[in-house]
Amino acid sequence: MIVADNHLLLAETQKITPPSIEYSSLSPLLIVFAVALVGVLVDAFATRSTRRVIQPILAGAGFVGALVAVAVLHGRHAVLASGAVAIDAPTLFMQGTILVFALLSVLLVAERRLDSSGGAIVASAAVTPGSKGSTAARTSEDVQTEAYPLMVFSVTGMMLFVASNNLLVMFVALEILSLPLYLLAGLARRRRLLSQEAAMKYFLLGAFSSAFFIYGVAFAYGFAGSVEMGKVADAVGTTGKNDIYLYLAVALIGVGLFFKIGAAPFHSWTPDVYQGSPTPVTAFMAAGTKVAAFGALLRVFYVAFGGLRWDWRPVLWGVAILTMVVGAVLALTQRDIKRMLAYSAIAHAGFLLVGVAASNTDGLRGSMFYLVTYGFTTIAAFAVISLVRTGDGEASDLSQWRGLGRTSPLLAGTFSFLLLALAGIPLTSGFTGKFAVFQAAIEGDATPLVIVALVCSAIAAFFYVRVIVLMFFSEPLTEGPVVVTRPTLTFATAGIGAAATLVLGVAPQPLLDLANTAASSGFVR
Amino acid sequence: MLSNYVPILVLLVIATLFAVGSVVAGMLVGPRRFNRAKIDAYECGIEPSPAPAGPQRFPVKYYNTAMLFIVFDIEIIFLFPWALAFDSLAVFGLGAMALFMATIFVAYAYEWRRGGLEWD
Amino acid sequence: MNTVPWLTIMLLVPAVGAVVVGFLPRRRATLAKQLTLAITLVVLVLAVLATVAYEPKRAGFQFAQHHSWISTFGISYSVGADGISLVLMLLAAVLLPVVVLSSWDEVDGPEPGGDGLAAPAGGGRGGATPAGPAGGVGAGGGVATGGVATGGVATGGVEGGGGGTAVLVAAPPAPPAVGLGEPVPARGTEARGQRSVPAFFALLLALETGMIGVFAATDVFLFYVFFEAMLIPMYFLIGSYGPVKEQAQRSYAAVKFLVYSLLGGLLMLAAVIGLYVVSAQHLAHGTFDFATLRQLEITPGVQKLLFLGFFVAFAIKAPLFPFHTWLPDAGAQAPTGAAVLLVGVLDKVGTFGLIRYCIPLFPDAADYFAPMVLALAVIGIFYGALLAIGQRDMKRLVSYTSLAHFGFIALGTFAFTSQAGTGAVLYMVNHGLSTGLLFLVVGFLVARRGTRDVAAYGGLAKITPILAGVFLIAGLSSLALPGTNSFVSEFLVLVGTFTVNKALAIVATTGIVLAAIYILYLYQRTMTGPVTHEENRALLDLSVREKIVVAPMVALIIGLGVYPKPIIDIIRPSVTATFADIGKHDPAPTHPAAAQPGGHS
Repeated sequence: MIVADNHLLLAETQKITPPSIEYSSLSPLLIVFAVALVGVLVDAFATRSTRRVIQPILAGAGFVGALVAVAVLHGRHAVLASGAVAIDAPTLFMQGTILVFALLSVLLVAERRLDSSGGAIVASAAVTPGSKGSTAARTSEDVQTEAYPLMVFSVTGMMLFVASNNLLVMFVALEILSLPLYLLAGLARRRRLLSQEAAMKYFLLGAFSSAFFIYGVAFAYGFAGSVEMGKVADAVGTTGKNDIYLYLAVALIGVGLFFKIGAAPFHSWTPDVYQGSPTPVTAFMAAGTKVAAFGALLRVFYVAFGGLRWDWRPVLWGVAILTMVVGAVLALTQRDIKRMLAYSAIAHAGFLLVGVAASNTDGLRGSMFYLVTYGFTTIAAFAVISLVRTGDGEASDLSQWRGLGRTSPLLAGTFSFLLLALAGIPLTSGFTGKFAVFQAAIEGDATPLVIVALVCSAIAAFFYVRVIVLMFFSEPLTEGPVVVTRPTLTFATAGIGAAATLVLGVAPQPLLDLANTAASSGFVR
Repeated sequence: MLSNYVPILVLLVIATLFAVGSVVAGMLVGPRRFNRAKIDAYECGIEPSPAPAGPQRFPVKYYNTAMLFIVFDIEIIFLFPWALAFDSLAVFGLGAMALFMATIFVAYAYEWRRGGLEWD
Repeated sequence: MNTVPWLTIMLLVPAVGAVVVGFLPRRRATLAKQLTLAITLVVLVLAVLATVAYEPKRAGFQFAQHHSWISTFGISYSVGADGISLVLMLLAAVLLPVVVLSSWDEVDGPEPGGDGLAAPAGGGRGGATPAGPAGGVGAGGGVATGGVATGGVATGGVEGGGGGTAVLVAAPPAPPAVGLGEPVPARGTEARGQRSVPAFFALLLALETGMIGVFAATDVFLFYVFFEAMLIPMYFLIGSYGPVKEQAQRSYAAVKFLVYSLLGGLLMLAAVIGLYVVSAQHLAHGTFDFATLRQLEITPGVQKLLFLGFFVAFAIKAPLFPFHTWLPDAGAQAPTGAAVLLVGVLDKVGTFGLIRYCIPLFPDAADYFAPMVLALAVIGIFYGALLAIGQRDMKRLVSYTSLAHFGFIALGTFAFTSQAGTGAVLYMVNHGLSTGLLFLVVGFLVARRGTRDVAAYGGLAKITPILAGVFLIAGLSSLALPGTNSFVSEFLVLVGTFTVNKALAIVATTGIVLAAIYILYLYQRTMTGPVTHEENRALLDLSVREKIVVAPMVALIIGLGVYPKPIIDIIRPSVTATFADIGKHDPAPTHPAAAQPGGHS
């Protein structure tokens, strides 16, 4: 069928001019993609023990290399590859952010001193839970090293996602970023059933939302006759087209993107997936995917549908309010710390949407700044979570965290600090980020939204504080969890994240300047 | 503008009619003779592998083969149009396809090295 | 003289001190205490020097410093002092050493091992888990944590090569799956639940930084930052160092305190951002600078909204009548020192905010809402007094009396006369002293007897005469007996109110009668009469340390009651300027001589 179509097409046009591709401007993407391929080859040809050593180094080096490429490219403002990819300041800002978070997450994944044997990644994902081999697999030194190339592939997708200037490329990027994540979610070493359930749910719901997205792209094409964002934007400006298609396109693409950022009412996968996934992967998803999805969301809503602002703003308001309320209120009832942070992630998606709803330059700046602050804090928080363990893996049940402030004050203190940052207490990055988006929203005439956001912040503060209460004001358990003290990499990650949280709270000006420059130069069309 | 979509609509209607119609026709006209093979899951025309009851491993051989098939299927899908437009794409096409096939080869190499090609 | 950046130094000293003390190892408790006392004394000296250097006659903020902080949002590090903020900083600086000294033995005094909650659990653990060899070395008493930690690291080194898990912290032997074959070097069981002494004092110092910062800030954003940041140390002080046995209640009180304050703070944040956006519309670039914001002509409608945002935050903080319910819980559950600071200084941030921010920034709205605030103030005076009379828990009782006092302060602030305003600010200082002393004495009693229940006392004047005497002085100051400091301020507030609103002033005056009832009734039940409980006969009178703690407070209470002029001279020009700025001038027949009624006694 496809071949026949192509034939017909060729018969009509005969000549195809080959597009020119600026490989140098695409270098961050190409580096990461190449590293992913090399990673697959390493997994194919190297022995088990060498793989374990090479893979994290390779992935890390790839991220650093791409980061350098991003830095070199700064100031570039162009549409590349026949309108498929856009390289502009916001794109580079978000690509850089994704790479930094990926680098931190790789440190977490590479941690092998947490458990008696390997890190958080399963030895052999195919072993059925509860079968004879599963106990051996739990303590085996093996690791499913495919996790690293998968992560790198996912990062490739994320970087393309924020850079795509074409709705179809964006869909491809969405799949590239999602498919590896579905797999990664199922690779937890312990609580295999939970992990597999997470992977399955994530896959099914993710595929569902992708379908919505591509359907929306089809409608956008039906409306504008093109899937390029600039052309869609031009078509929005002209009259005489079928607006029904346009609204359907906005709605359906919106559903796909809202799913990825975990906005209500498309959030239901978040708690299960966050809980079931290996904690380093959860950290990676929480930080990286959020940046990528918001990057794409901002581009779609600011560039392609920017002219439709007054039509989508009310919808965005509704989604933002619902997301904040759902996140903050449902988090109150959680007993599992990872689930709680999942609902917190939902609430934060809501706060970020407040910045998007501002629909002005300040909103773009605020959202980008917020994404950075949130990512650092959340990666550090998940790093800390992975340190508190019982014989059965992580002590994820909240009741096991009782009195931790008495038994290991440094860890509990760090975690409290991170929680306070998530709650948005001044002198933490969380506050600066919230301030940036709320300021933009008030400037953009979204004051009621800010009021709701503040009330939700207060509700959210309650459940963060509850954890602090448990850690500091309760007597320690007799059979309390163990805090592991040797994992250098996890310590480093938690330390970097907490330090960034403090620095961005006390001296946010440099990053704000960076975000400001990026936002005011704007998206390329 | 909208009239461009009339053929699609017609196709949609025809497809629905055909799908529903053939099932209904089959139910009305066809003979009903059940045996074990009919109730069993269809698995490439051979004896179905035993369904996993409880926690045990189940063979994934077919999945491996299917993946390999998809790898080459995708490759073919791009090779045909390339062959047709080989002249006009010239060096660019050659470079792009070489890159593409190298990428595909990585997947193949992985499956081969990890024993995906060994049937037993 | 004024080129010295007093305020910045006063901020830096306790801030650095908090970090240093916080990182002291647990076993260096005594060093932590001494260091903290020294730091707070240094701050006190600095505050006194700053007060001496302050020139009351000069308009505007003095010792001002201005550095750009987050230029994107026009935020700067700006500090400065006027008469109002200076006396409150001085109050904080005076109370801190007193609190440090009064809390000397409070944290490490009652060991968790001594109370019903932790002891059995700890004992059971001790029996079940013989400490490992390394743990045994270090666990000579609960204090030797550092030694145990070393043990933990050493064991980790032994296990080093394998995949084993090294454990720093106390732990029961984990299930074998973790790979901990050997007994874990457990910290001594006493240590596991023990509260860290250095942390307590570090929190006090952090609190002092916040308190000074909140009064010193002349950038609204900086003010907000200190306003919120101050909550965290207080939260931990209540939650971690409250009564050992009442774990549920103190967590509840701490969380209630934090959530109330955060909610108010977030509403204020909305108003702060709103203020910024308004300034951005008026000026070329948005700003948070107080002096600039003050010049803005904000439309009345916007003013009302912004005013409410600030007002609710301050009303929760102060607290005023319908927002007060967190105070009795927090006051009762906080350790004595923290309670003194909470009611003495922290709550003053609310009333300070009213006069510093609500009125000058939003004069029209302040005018509009003044009747409402005055009504709430008077309700608070009576409501607080009536509830105080009914209390059996002494700390709750004192908290409720504060509610009544805050009513007076709000009354004076929103009467918009310089007399009442001066009285209100002076009241803030005096209330800090009198209620602070009351909390201290009650804290001494509770520490001796172990209960806050009034019924457990009786006839103590015979057994502990000095304690009873100090209690009486604090009480009399609280009910504003002439000759004590509070009388001057209460009188100024009432006179100032009377000149503009006679009815309200008369109604409020009757509140004084209720004050006499709750204080004297409390004194009668605890101190006078026969000794009702035999075990009370063994109670000791004030120790030397405790006498040193109360002496400066008593001296200040009497001193300021007899000769309040120096303080009033500092406050008055600033208050007058504040009201003049918004076009509020005192009604004609005001006789300034009435301002110093206490001067002759």
